[in-house]
Amino acid sequence: MNKILLIIQREYLTRVRKKTFIISTILFPLLYLALIFGMSYLGATTMAHLKVAVIDSSGYFNKGQFERSNATDSTLVMTLLNEHPDSLKNTYKRRGFDGFVIIPASKNWEEGIPNVSFRADKKFGASSVGQIENRLNFLWTDVKNEKLGIDENKKEIISKSRVSVTSEDLLGQAANEKVAGTIGFVAGFLIYLILLIYGSQVMMGVMEEKTNRIAEVIISSVKPFQLMLGKIIGIGLVALTQFFLWVIFVFVIYNLTKATSNSNEAVNNMVGQVQNTFTNLNIPVILFFFAFYFLGGFFFYSSLYAAIGSAVNEDMREAQSLSFPVTMLVILSIAMTSISLNDPTGKLAVWASIIPFSSPIIMMTRIPFGVPGTVPWWQLGLSMALLIAGFLFTVWLSGKIYRTGILMYGKKPSWKEMIKWAFAKS
Amino acid sequence: MAILELNNLKKYFATQKAVDDISLSIERGQIFGLLGPNGAGKTTLIRMITGIFYPDEGQIIFDGKKFDPVNDIGHIGYMPEERGLYKKMKIGEQTLYLAQLKGLGRSEAMKKIKEWFAKFDMDSWWTKKVEDLSKGMSQKLQFVTTVLHQPKLIILDEPFSGLDPVNSNLIKEEIYNLAQAGATIIFSTHRMEQVEEICDHIVLVNKGKKILDGTVQRVKQDFKENLFRVTFKDRLLAEHLAIHLFEVKQKMEKEVIIKLDPGFSNNDVLQYFINKGLLIESFNEILPSLNDIFIRLVEGTPASRHFQEVKN
Repeated sequence: MNKILLIIQREYLTRVRKKTFIISTILFPLLYLALIFGMSYLGATTMAHLKVAVIDSSGYFNKGQFERSNATDSTLVMTLLNEHPDSLKNTYKRRGFDGFVIIPASKNWEEGIPNVSFRADKKFGASSVGQIENRLNFLWTDVKNEKLGIDENKKEIISKSRVSVTSEDLLGQAANEKVAGTIGFVAGFLIYLILLIYGSQVMMGVMEEKTNRIAEVIISSVKPFQLMLGKIIGIGLVALTQFFLWVIFVFVIYNLTKATSNSNEAVNNMVGQVQNTFTNLNIPVILFFFAFYFLGGFFFYSSLYAAIGSAVNEDMREAQSLSFPVTMLVILSIAMTSISLNDPTGKLAVWASIIPFSSPIIMMTRIPFGVPGTVPWWQLGLSMALLIAGFLFTVWLSGKIYRTGILMYGKKPSWKEMIKWAFAKS
Repeated sequence: MAILELNNLKKYFATQKAVDDISLSIERGQIFGLLGPNGAGKTTLIRMITGIFYPDEGQIIFDGKKFDPVNDIGHIGYMPEERGLYKKMKIGEQTLYLAQLKGLGRSEAMKKIKEWFAKFDMDSWWTKKVEDLSKGMSQKLQFVTTVLHQPKLIILDEPFSGLDPVNSNLIKEEIYNLAQAGATIIFSTHRMEQVEEICDHIVLVNKGKKILDGTVQRVKQDFKENLFRVTFKDRLLAEHLAIHLFEVKQKMEKEVIIKLDPGFSNNDVLQYFINKGLLIESFNEILPSLNDIFIRLVEGTPASRHFQEVKN
């Protein structure tokens, strides 16, 4: 036991003191935050400022309408002109327009105007076309209202009178499934990231003894199983450390930037919402399960990666090709989250949250929706039991493969051969 | 008292009988040579002694008791042929780590490291990384990590490979010192001239079986061919050598190598030459070198072990 602790200590310290650890701990959250803020900033400032000329053959639109709507939303300026398209197409650019809209004559206003065309020499993105369409529809609503005799009063009633639905649990408490979904996705995604990044770290860590040719020296002092376990736990602790540091970092940076008024309103709102609903959803419960599935998933997958690392001969490509099926399982799990988030009680979600391969990720997407509501106790219990059994099995299996692989310098083995090692006598 | 006893050890792999019923006994304080061609089973044997492999059959008795892989390895030091160190780790830290893995406490390990580093002139190496060392330097370091914890049994597999004569000598001196201090050394190598120089007792294995077991002197005696080298002050003539006492293997101007006929003694030969009026300068038995014995015994073994059918 003491020896495992020695190994854990060495593996942990060696990695935590490396420059790359410090850089990635600081860099990642910074990059991520820069991305969020940057994108929203960019979005705000570079939203297309369109200047569009309008030729209206339908007669339903007038200058006043356009001018009023331009005033409320200056990102799109539409100007009604009385010209022929053919002449306009040669001059619109010179006059400062990005393009022009041709509204054809419409036989019957009740059928709307389906074939308005937006002409320009370069292609504008879907959002620009959408902007124009939205604006026109906005104005068209006024036209419709007028034609139908819907005055201001009635218009008010139409827009204000709505039915909105909030979902609640059986006790009548509001459950915000959008936020639950977000938490579920974030949790699942985090576990996915950690499994991939640190799974391959374990694989490379295991190859370290072979590459440095120190495997036999170490194995003459400790049992192979102790070495494997020490490496997995040591690297796992590094993952935990980095994860905590990230959380703290993001938290600190966020609070700092909240103080300054530069922070984006939308982000503020969302985080505010999340923090509100945090008090509704059972946060300690979610954290507990997050820890459980994080650990379970980590042990389950990293032991498989350790087995692979022990079998290959220093060649990263060999390692990657052999680990491909394992990596695919992880990727498959994250791919299924879109389904499980959409329908947390559907068959796929339920089974995927119970089978140990995908349960760490998928169960975490389901839990924020409510235990025992969305996730009945028996499903949770079964999933946890299977995950524990699962990682005990993979650790045992990998231990057997590891003890043979670590001393072998021959050709690259196939999965079949590796399984044979597992069941050979020591 | 025997420090190590191997009784009928067997280790079979799917494709060959690596160790096929080997028994031997090693006394405390001996410098013991474990020899054999490639693929003979030496490494497998050593791995069973160090607890890396478990024998399929047979017993290992270490220091009078049944070998306990968990506890006894603290008393064994092993320098494998395929050896290395963590390149990116600092030397002082790494030596400490390896010593602790062997069971030494931290302060005790530090004390011993300082002693050995001073002895081998390695004081300036503490904070350097292993990748900064030359090959010879890292071999020295590996030797230190092997013997640091004062093991009772030290197993060295090709310890001199890659060392220059100065460092080779240094290690050789240390081997003698360690043996003097009571440690037992198992030395595995292909370099027979070193074996002759250093070892007391040797065992030759081939194809998983033991084919020689005895002291160096004994083995040479067993394999001697009654060859003698006689040198003279005078020139030798053909008529001097025409006698049935011996067979002439090689003749030079003032020297001859003869194979003595078993019915006659050394004195007979000396008497003969004296009677012939020749002035004898020297008369020496030529014992076979271990190299020759080795080749003679394993000649005919294919260059690499063929795969065998292993029927259980």
